[in-house]
Amino acid sequence: MVRSIVLRAFLLLPIAFVAAFLLAPLGLTIAVSFWQRIGLSVRPAFVFASYLTFFDSVRFEVLTRSLLVSIEATVLSLFVSYPIAYFLAFKARPDATRLALLLFTTPFLVNYVIRAFAWTYLLGRTGPINTLLTSAGIVSRPLDWLLYSDFSVLVGLISSYMPFMIFPIWLSLAGIDRALIQASWLLGASPSRTFFSVTLPLSLPGVFAAAIFCFVSSFGESAIPVIMGGVGYQLMGNTITSAMDVLNYPLAAAMSTVVVLAMTVLLMGWYLLFDMQSFLGKILNWRA
Amino acid sequence: MGENVRRSHALVWLYVGFVLLFIYLPLFPPLIFSVVTGETGAPAFTLSRYAEMWRNPVLTDAIVTSLEVGAIVAVIAPLLGLAAAMAIRELQTPRLILSLVLLPLFIPGVSAGLATALFFHLVGVPPSLVAIAIVQAVWALPFATIVILVAMTTFDPVYLEAAWMSGADRLRAFIDVELPLIRPGILGAATFSLILSFNETVRTAAVQGGYNTVQTYIWATYKQIGLSPTLYALMGLLIVLTLILVAGFLLVGARRRTG
Amino acid sequence: MSTLSRPTRRDLMVLGAASGLSAAMTPLFATSVLAGGTINFADIGVGDPGGDWSRYTKTSGFNVNLVAIGNAPSAILNTLVAGGGTASYDVINIVGGMQKPLVENNLIEVVDTAQLPNWAKDKNIEEFLGKGEPGFNFIGYQGKIYGAPTVLQGDSFAYLPEKTGKLDSYAALFDPKWKGYVALEDNYTTAGQKTALYLKHAKLAQIANPDDMTADEVKTVVDFLIDQKKKGQFRVIWSSFQQAVDLIVNKEVYVIDCWEPMVFAAKGKGVDAVYADPKEGYLLWAMAAYLTKNPKRSPETTKAAYQLLDFMLGGWYGAKITVLRGYMTNTEAPVYAKEHPDEFPAGEAQKVAEITANVRRKFAQGGTWQNRWPTHVDVYESEWARFKAA
Repeated sequence: MVRSIVLRAFLLLPIAFVAAFLLAPLGLTIAVSFWQRIGLSVRPAFVFASYLTFFDSVRFEVLTRSLLVSIEATVLSLFVSYPIAYFLAFKARPDATRLALLLFTTPFLVNYVIRAFAWTYLLGRTGPINTLLTSAGIVSRPLDWLLYSDFSVLVGLISSYMPFMIFPIWLSLAGIDRALIQASWLLGASPSRTFFSVTLPLSLPGVFAAAIFCFVSSFGESAIPVIMGGVGYQLMGNTITSAMDVLNYPLAAAMSTVVVLAMTVLLMGWYLLFDMQSFLGKILNWRA
Repeated sequence: MGENVRRSHALVWLYVGFVLLFIYLPLFPPLIFSVVTGETGAPAFTLSRYAEMWRNPVLTDAIVTSLEVGAIVAVIAPLLGLAAAMAIRELQTPRLILSLVLLPLFIPGVSAGLATALFFHLVGVPPSLVAIAIVQAVWALPFATIVILVAMTTFDPVYLEAAWMSGADRLRAFIDVELPLIRPGILGAATFSLILSFNETVRTAAVQGGYNTVQTYIWATYKQIGLSPTLYALMGLLIVLTLILVAGFLLVGARRRTG
Repeated sequence: MSTLSRPTRRDLMVLGAASGLSAAMTPLFATSVLAGGTINFADIGVGDPGGDWSRYTKTSGFNVNLVAIGNAPSAILNTLVAGGGTASYDVINIVGGMQKPLVENNLIEVVDTAQLPNWAKDKNIEEFLGKGEPGFNFIGYQGKIYGAPTVLQGDSFAYLPEKTGKLDSYAALFDPKWKGYVALEDNYTTAGQKTALYLKHAKLAQIANPDDMTADEVKTVVDFLIDQKKKGQFRVIWSSFQQAVDLIVNKEVYVIDCWEPMVFAAKGKGVDAVYADPKEGYLLWAMAAYLTKNPKRSPETTKAAYQLLDFMLGGWYGAKITVLRGYMTNTEAPVYAKEHPDEFPAGEAQKVAEITANVRRKFAQGGTWQNRWPTHVDVYESEWARFKAA
């Protein structure tokens, strides 16, 4: 039937889209990573030289730092965002929910570079926060570590990706059948027991979505580290740009490929550890 | 017992307020910088930058481009995301499709931008609105897909079965029953796509050719000549517009309740 | 702004309909098809005369479409090589010294200076950028001229005299008195080169040419910097104009390796910052406008591009840019500003004259010419990465 063919085409469209506009460039990147660098130009070849350069140098430390920072940012963001999502889903008035979501999302239409610079103003030695702290007597001199430190990078990352965390978790929580929670109370479970046994597991799809968003975005971030990071702070995005700056495209491509590989490995690990059922549960079962 | 409940309520509200403060705090400096001028040493208040903004042709063009691209991406990405979510559901290989759709997230922006630009160059896609929209849609697709997927997990297939038993065919059932229930997810996907588009800088810069979006314009100017007060004015305008939007929703909601 | 430069709303439907994206689409966007025409001008932001290209359009009949690009080699090269190629831009205005990769990748054309009447009028060119001088590296390569110099400047560092008193040597950047209150630029060809200049003069290292160091010399410089970093000397390494200005205006640091316009911007916000005149000399550099190599460009467009280059070597443009950005442009600028008080009020004309005289003095004193593409640039990059990671 025509309709089912059209439907099939529609379903396959995103795959075709990704294949054309992502797999092809990715393929190019992987191919270039094996090319040889002669002086300032590149020659098609198949050598591991760029990978060796990468693993052998300080750039590799940037990879480990990116991993660490992304994990930190994700965990912290989850802890900050989950209560908000919970509040929106359960405690707020139903008609106010949409408004509240809007309230938590619209600030992010403002460019994150501008927001990052606003943070550098706020967190500086002479900025309002330090001024407040010193005039209130809480500290004797301005806090240096508020800015140009690991702390400020985390602040930048968390404040950049928060809406992407709140919304998926809220979606999951809002979709939980209230009857399940009531059943848990009726069976005598305390509020915290209900939360950990019923609410939290059912909200896991949203939590995972939020975690994925925050982790991968932080990993490839290039602007926040240079605007808010300490002396020479860089993440993968910065080292790759730096390699491109000297036209070392094979090295840049090699680093990009390693990043993609690292992410894919993590994704595979997630697939293995968590049954798809827990994430997609009802979706995958529904035709059964 | 009542005392504890009230205290915990207060704590909750305090926390929410704190987080709101965290989100809104970085919006104040740009607003302030856009209206305050310390040029002669003493702070003064001026709205002149808001007018100046429109006289800068590069900026106005960039605004138009950003709006056009944002609109395209906010429509395409959720649609593709919906198709992808359905594909994960219908076709036999959910993990493969999910991995494919998530792939754009894994590639660092700078590499993705350059590689896509090179690819476009090789197949003959010229730098244009379409090129920018494609690059941004690819980046927004995983976000849109996952959001819609999450929305689908909250949807109980029981409703669809009820629809089938009442005689509706699968497509009708989907459109009439499921779609309205996952609408928040689709709207969320559209909002995310718009936000992502308004913040997307590195990938766009690589393929934009002769065009500027507001983001790439900010990116270039802040590096070389500094953020001008007119840029702050632009952001200030955006902030004010969204606050008006929020206030509007508030009023509509209030009227609906009393009406 | 012209709508001729954007035949795009239609292409959305065209490309959407066609599933195969073939090169057959390209003729639709070739600038040679457009009548009257537009010059696509890629600029790092410095070369924008406030959006006013009217005087150029009047003489050439062409519009200018200004596209903002970054100054980083990757930003420029990536766009020229991959993002639409040389057809995207006709003229690019960037900090010079990048001719080697640009020429070797066949991206720019030799400029025929006979077609530029203003070339001979600019005294800066013959005095500072002649063949055989290190300055030639900003506009030429292997004896041929590729770019028209649009901006010239001599860099040193800035400081807050209220906190530090008068400073006259790069040693201030490494003075333990200002520990934690110093910032450097994240750029091995400026901060790195200035450090090398200092180390050479202070006889702390054996460096033959700060502008083209050997691998060992670079390593010595970086070792020194790492030592300073570990001692907590630096607050941050900045990488954008905005960041540097903020650092000065917020008084986050007292001594900062930066560009002079940042001092002007800070002064404009009421902060007393001074750009130093160090005894070791200055870091000299120039911006140049290049013609991209595009065989498909029509002769009319090429002529208009030459007219643009000439326009940028002219008095009005030079004066405008000096007023807006604080950089020296060409020697016609102060003359023009003085002779046209209706366009440049007395205060602005004065500013142009002062800046031009001041920078010419810096060039006369000398120092070291910035080298954006040293022989061992790979070593520079990896050593700088080592500094950042330390």
